[in-house]
Amino acid sequence: MKHDELDNLLRDTLKADVAASKSCILGMEDRVIMQLGERSPRLRWSQWLAQLAAPTRGVRLGQIAVVGATAAIFLFIGLALANRILPGNNSPGLSLQPVRSADGNQEVLFVMPALDAESVAVVGSFNAWEGTALSDLDGDGIWTASIPLSPGRYEYAFIIDGRWWGQDPLADDYIQSFGEYSSVRYIGRGGDGA
Amino acid sequence: MNLRKTRVFWTFTLLLLLPILGVSAQISLMDYEQGLYSIPVSNPDFILFTIELGMTQADFPAEPLLRLIDRLASHPGAVFEKDGILIILAHALEDGLPIEGLVGKALEGLARNVSLQQIEQGLSQLLILLAETRDLFYSKGIFNAPAGAPQAVPTAIPTLRFNQLLIHVSGTIGDFLESGGSPFEGHLLYQGMHNRLTMLQGITLLPEDVELVLDRIEPSDLTQVALVAVR
Repeated sequence: MKHDELDNLLRDTLKADVAASKSCILGMEDRVIMQLGERSPRLRWSQWLAQLAAPTRGVRLGQIAVVGATAAIFLFIGLALANRILPGNNSPGLSLQPVRSADGNQEVLFVMPALDAESVAVVGSFNAWEGTALSDLDGDGIWTASIPLSPGRYEYAFIIDGRWWGQDPLADDYIQSFGEYSSVRYIGRGGDGA
Repeated sequence: MNLRKTRVFWTFTLLLLLPILGVSAQISLMDYEQGLYSIPVSNPDFILFTIELGMTQADFPAEPLLRLIDRLASHPGAVFEKDGILIILAHALEDGLPIEGLVGKALEGLARNVSLQQIEQGLSQLLILLAETRDLFYSKGIFNAPAGAPQAVPTAIPTLRFNQLLIHVSGTIGDFLESGGSPFEGHLLYQGMHNRLTMLQGITLLPEDVELVLDRIEPSDLTQVALVAVR
């Protein structure tokens, strides 16, 4: 086949193809422009924030629901903890504020959060370093024990599943003894261990 | 209430009261003797003699000491190491020093499953601190006035109060050294002593006793005591 014949053949073929797909090509430019117009523009961060602050009604309701649910959860946890440890509730024996008894001793609350623990005990200078078991009756992972103590200074540590834990967040002071931490509480005026 | 119920009630009451009666019963020298012979210590007579001396003190920790002896008796450690711990206590008693802190330290060490040798070292340092602190008090004019003795000087403090000061000042230095503090950090030692005494002021220490110590003892004095203990 000569070059001229090949060129003619290609030209004819292309013409035939164009003629066949004429219906698709017609109005393509308009369709492209229309589709581009339908796409939402890319927002800048400031525009995004503005939209977040003033969303549609549906989005706003969703946001309010999420914030409300989160606040309710935190309120519930706060109340649950407050019921356990703050004074003025129905369980005075579980108050962080020591309750003075007739013999001058004070009921002192020891609290240790240990979610997955099997057993928690407190050892210290008040019980000759022999464990006094803490209890978690409601299974919320907060172990407590109320121990009557006379005013003074006490060193102690918790034993959680056999492991010593000497840094009680409620302690007045911390010391090191035999290379490990111990907590210190002052019971009576000044410290109260609270 | 029928007869059977009455009998059950009294049986339970008696069972509940028995441990209380047992604990509150007076601890005698015989109890210590039995414990010491079950260890058995090398020189029970000396230890018993000093315990007898100590039993005359109002702040003698009778029950904790008996508990310590019992725990040592059941401890699997070497007898000479148990002996060493008890000898330190005996020396303290012989010297008229309060052993409350020493007994507590030993009980803590046993509970922590620390070696008897380590406990002995800890007690030895604490004994030095007690003795040195007492000497420091004397040198500063803070004296111990035994019960019934005439108060020769206004700064003579009854033994119970004097011993409490001794325990807390020496204890502060001991805690500081154990926590890795340097004896040369006298100002930190003083701050620790100040905090501890102030916290106990009005609880177990009289304000005038605390004031006396804080007025007369200086940071450099505490450094001197700490240096002797680590030497």
